[in-house]
Amino acid sequence: MIYLDNAATSFPKPAECLQRALDRYLQIGASPGRGGYDRAVEAESTVSAVRKKLCRFFGADEAHRVCFTYNATDALNLLIQGLVQPGDHVVSSRLEHNSVLRPLHHLQKQGRISFDLVPFDSDGFIDPAQVGAAIKPTTRLVVLTHASNVLGTVQPVQEIAAVCRARGVPLVLDASQSAGVVPIRVNEWGVQGLVFTGHKSLLGPTGIGGLVLAPELDPEPSRFGGTGVDSRSPYHTMEYPYRLEAGTINLLGILGLEASLDYVDQSYAASYAREMSLLRKLRDGLGALPRLRLYCVNLLDHHLPVLTCTVEHHTSEDVGAILDGDFGIAVRAGLHCAPLVHQDLGTLENGAVRFSLGPFTTEAEIDAAVNAMAAIAG
Amino acid sequence: MSAHTPEEGKPQGRRVRMIAGREVAFDDEGFFDDFENWSEAIFEALAHESGIAVITDRHWQVVRFLREFYAYNGRAPLNNQLRQGTGIRLLELEGLFPEGLKQGARRLAGLPNPKTCN
Repeated sequence: MIYLDNAATSFPKPAECLQRALDRYLQIGASPGRGGYDRAVEAESTVSAVRKKLCRFFGADEAHRVCFTYNATDALNLLIQGLVQPGDHVVSSRLEHNSVLRPLHHLQKQGRISFDLVPFDSDGFIDPAQVGAAIKPTTRLVVLTHASNVLGTVQPVQEIAAVCRARGVPLVLDASQSAGVVPIRVNEWGVQGLVFTGHKSLLGPTGIGGLVLAPELDPEPSRFGGTGVDSRSPYHTMEYPYRLEAGTINLLGILGLEASLDYVDQSYAASYAREMSLLRKLRDGLGALPRLRLYCVNLLDHHLPVLTCTVEHHTSEDVGAILDGDFGIAVRAGLHCAPLVHQDLGTLENGAVRFSLGPFTTEAEIDAAVNAMAAIAG
Repeated sequence: MSAHTPEEGKPQGRRVRMIAGREVAFDDEGFFDDFENWSEAIFEALAHESGIAVITDRHWQVVRFLREFYAYNGRAPLNNQLRQGTGIRLLELEGLFPEGLKQGARRLAGLPNPKTCN
């Protein structure tokens, strides 16, 4: 199989990372922070070390403000629901994944918040000035994707953060697609909340994600329970990181993330350059096909190795099925859980086909993808 | 064929039609509500409606494979299984049905709506 669906989840994973995680789990797999015996202390100490690594990787200051979640959707729900109060206003964008849109819509439906969505331009970018224009006196939060999961466009975060800072509104960044592909420096950029998932370009296993909080951002917990600290209190602790971590955390996932983070940290800059070179080849190959339309790949300077297209007279689902069944190529067809992007592209009815490259994508695989698409759209 | 009769309390977009002497319920995308409520006569009517002028042996080959596979396995064939089971490349198979693989072949064969991300 030629796997070109890395934006959904990276595949394959580095086997040595999974093995290292499993070995470590077999060695120290007690419940972190839930006992005074050596094994539990060692487990907690290991988890703390992973928080430090993540903190450093994302350019943050305070490792205890790195909280683990199941995935990015989980982290976004925790952050959005933990930050807004009745009557608050939120600014987001039409590039967002349902992991942002659906929490906002549900909160709006409950009458708790209102929100506005900033558009993206014909190249797939948000204008920071439009973010500023959308901010109201009641705006509690700006939550934006760092990079579109449909278009691959990397948003001008530093400029947007400057606008938010000037207006006194915290910026939460959804780095589901970008973490592990391009550098992220939350402190330097002025981002107050960063959300990530482990299983995409951080090359970790599924079921582990997290958030990184700046000192000035204090979401209220929305899940309550055991934390291993302050057990006499009837209420959930406000102490980080346990404030946002109710119940036993995913130690095996954290160990997997630790191993893959080491791997990614060593290789991602070179890998990104190589993947973008392959993306250019893919774009140029597909761009020559007469019945195929590409979206937002004219400018690749601020872009992830993601390309989305449609083929005249074919639904995207059928193109995906043909690529899979006839050519052994796995891509993602449909709406990519980002319906507003497709609405604005005019692809809401039939969706689009997304190719997303990863660190193990080869030039021969790109050639095969172009040839397969030529058979369909030529 | 009769006029559509939306039923109260059913999922939005569900509709019931009289086709080839039988009442058939469809979901909002035109997929059969019930795999068992399919017949060759209903297939022929729906096939013509979808723009297939002449139903060929190739159409029957695809539809019979899909139905037999589903009846035996309780699920639709994977893409690779569809190609291997019919001996027809999916690009060609798609061309046999004006509405394509999902909305054409799969829907007309009476398989459930896969409800993928769309």
